[in-house]
Amino acid sequence: MLTLLCASVIIFLALEVVPGDPASVMLGVNAQPETVAALKQELGLNVSKPKRYFNWVSGMLAGDFGVSYTYRTPVRDMIADRMVISFPLALYALLLSTLIAFPAGIIAATRRGAVADVSVMGTTQLGIAIPNFWFAMILVSIFAIKLRWFSAGGFPGWEAGFLAGLKALTLPAIALALPQASILARVMRSSLLDTLGEDFIRTARAKGLTAGQALWHHALRNALIPVLTIIGLQFSFLLAGAIIVENVFFLPGLGRLIFQGITQRDLIVVESVVMLLVFAVVMVTFLVDIAYAAVDPRLRRRM
Amino acid sequence: MSLLTVTDLQISIGGVSILRDIDMSVDRGKVLGVVGESGSGKSMTAYSIMRLLPVGSKASGRIELAGKSLFGLSESDMCEVRGRDIGMIFQEPMTALNPLKSIGDQVAETISVHTTISRSEVRRLTLETLTKVGLPPDEFPLSRFPHELSGGQRQRVVIAMAIALQPKLLIADEPTTALDVTTQAQLLILLRRLVDEDGMGLILISHDLAVVANTADNIAVMRDGVVLDTGSVKNIFSDRRHPYTTELLEASTHVPVVNESELESVNPEPVNPKPVNPEPVNNAPLLEVQNLVREYKLPRGGLFKPVRYLRAVDNVSFTINRGENVALVGESGCGKSTLSRAILGLESIQGGAVYLDGQPIVYGAERSLDQYRKMQVVFQDPYGSFNPRHTVARLVAEPLFALEKKLQKPARQQAVANVLERVGLQSSDGSKYIHEFSGGQRQRIAIARALISRPSLIILDEAVSALDVSIRARVLDLLAELSGSFDIAYLFISHDLSVVRAVADRVLVMKDGSIVEQGETDAVFNSPEHPYTKKLIASVPRLAYAV
Repeated sequence: MLTLLCASVIIFLALEVVPGDPASVMLGVNAQPETVAALKQELGLNVSKPKRYFNWVSGMLAGDFGVSYTYRTPVRDMIADRMVISFPLALYALLLSTLIAFPAGIIAATRRGAVADVSVMGTTQLGIAIPNFWFAMILVSIFAIKLRWFSAGGFPGWEAGFLAGLKALTLPAIALALPQASILARVMRSSLLDTLGEDFIRTARAKGLTAGQALWHHALRNALIPVLTIIGLQFSFLLAGAIIVENVFFLPGLGRLIFQGITQRDLIVVESVVMLLVFAVVMVTFLVDIAYAAVDPRLRRRM
Repeated sequence: MSLLTVTDLQISIGGVSILRDIDMSVDRGKVLGVVGESGSGKSMTAYSIMRLLPVGSKASGRIELAGKSLFGLSESDMCEVRGRDIGMIFQEPMTALNPLKSIGDQVAETISVHTTISRSEVRRLTLETLTKVGLPPDEFPLSRFPHELSGGQRQRVVIAMAIALQPKLLIADEPTTALDVTTQAQLLILLRRLVDEDGMGLILISHDLAVVANTADNIAVMRDGVVLDTGSVKNIFSDRRHPYTTELLEASTHVPVVNESELESVNPEPVNPKPVNPEPVNNAPLLEVQNLVREYKLPRGGLFKPVRYLRAVDNVSFTINRGENVALVGESGCGKSTLSRAILGLESIQGGAVYLDGQPIVYGAERSLDQYRKMQVVFQDPYGSFNPRHTVARLVAEPLFALEKKLQKPARQQAVANVLERVGLQSSDGSKYIHEFSGGQRQRIAIARALISRPSLIILDEAVSALDVSIRARVLDLLAELSGSFDIAYLFISHDLSVVRAVADRVLVMKDGSIVEQGETDAVFNSPEHPYTKKLIASVPRLAYAV
């Protein structure tokens, strides 16, 4: 709660110092001063800064994010429109990333130094190094242009059917998931290697468990804690950090909304979206903490 | 016929020979003690019996359990043997258990991996086994997690896992090394009882001759991957057949003697070229601790519950005179380390006062450098208390950077070289890094670092606990010699009563944050007054009884 309050103050102040007055930008350079003043009045920009901050925060608490300066539509609706794309996209990418990273990490850790390990490490190195927009364009040129399995961009809307929507999000999700999966696989591998070197794995083997049983029953859950941390961080990133990939695929997501808001001095939109993202990050952190406690009994009492 | 026979066992890892020509045997209902210092190959022998050797190791020879060759078994057959026919107990109870699983699950796992009995039957057997090792279910329900248990209780869980299926052979690798003496005594009795009741064979591995001597029937002494001496406990100690056995025996009961003539020959040259201010000769104690209290805030039970405090050090008073060796003994958690940190001024105190040379110790930044100079510390872990990326010269010179800022580089180098030679190292060792030294050498470096500021008091927090007996003996000699030539007082903090007895003039016994008894070492050991001191002294395994 305190985090959110601090964040709201910082966001507000940071954006207030950005040069450029929304009213002047909207009306163009030749606008009459009287018109600008009238527009300011209409947008509620003429009152003092503390009052504007107060209006903004109290509005948000009531679910009213204000009205976009540029489009004259409620910010809430704009965000809602974008969320139905950004949220499923982030989730989809995260799911793909986890599905790739877990097996890759486990295989690499159990066959340390063998061909499988070396190739996983090599591939993930490449996956981290490749910029995701470039990878996105490669995906488009192969799967959309050559093979014509997917469309090159755009989003038909969930009204076109769940599968159609999912299909439109598949290429962007893959492009987003690749670097995340690479990082996650490496974290999984090193975490698992650490755990496999622990004394209790030796105890498990001495009980008569096979190497595989010791891995599944004892090592995996212990290795999960650092992995969960990374997953939490990645989800927050995927939610907003997809600006470039959204642009490559012409997806109207949250990232593009912020970008447009900044260029058009649509401060209220920017402030609201950033605030929403802060809220999302706090929520994800909270969920990750709950997940920690579910995994590790030592953390339960502290909650 | 013996239960386990090891014949002509050879192990090499990556071409380096680790074990050579190992022969040993264990009978049913008997205990074989395997003794040796670190690196002697005793744990490696245990792992080769379990066939859990590190990747890349080669083994040859024969290991037979009840007539069945273990080296002939496939890996999956060997998994059947582990846990069912051979159980194993490890040194570190803190890390040997999976922190995420309840103790019930972990004990039950041994049973369910090897049998197909019903869940309720597994549960019954688990409860029975835990009760047998002294963890009755009404006090220790199966749903407990390892972090909710003490070290000794965890080791009981590990024992329960190992004996759940009543294996023919139990291997215990340093099972009590990480534990307090009273806990150690209880666990050794438990192990002996299990052997006598169930007719198991037990291999008890330890670096501590006394532990083995009191529990084992036969002993094998190992060094550098070879069994040097075997025989029954009686024979091996009374005949003292092998010189190394004699050496070990003497090292573990070592009393440092300062040779006066030797002292004079090593002229105490000034470590620090700056003339040291002559200390005013007075009879005031060097260190005086008055009614010291150290409290920790505990987490609140709830939002409206009062804040609770834990008194780690409760109203402790004592004094140390110049050049005196005082020992502080007590079991883990009694507050002795907290007390030492409070004396050093590393932690704030909630009551009482500490005086060094008559001056109160000030907590925080206003403290004079002179107080830092006069009091130095050597910690237990010679591996963890050094920065691995600095040269030894830099590490040893560290106090000078803070305390003698004006000192020029050549003078500093000279001081480092002197002090390194003083602790028995070469002055050229200064350019090496810490990983190039053995545990004993590292502890010498730690002593050099403490010595360089010419302190009047050195606090030794379990400083020799991690060392092998023969190395420990030499470090104790060094400390005694330094005390003689530099007039240093020591505060030995230790759980090891045998060390304390050999080196200290006076003993303070600490329990639950208070000092329950103090007095001259001999008086305390010969006629302890407090029941806790009596119990502590009675728990110490003593070679004299066995020999």
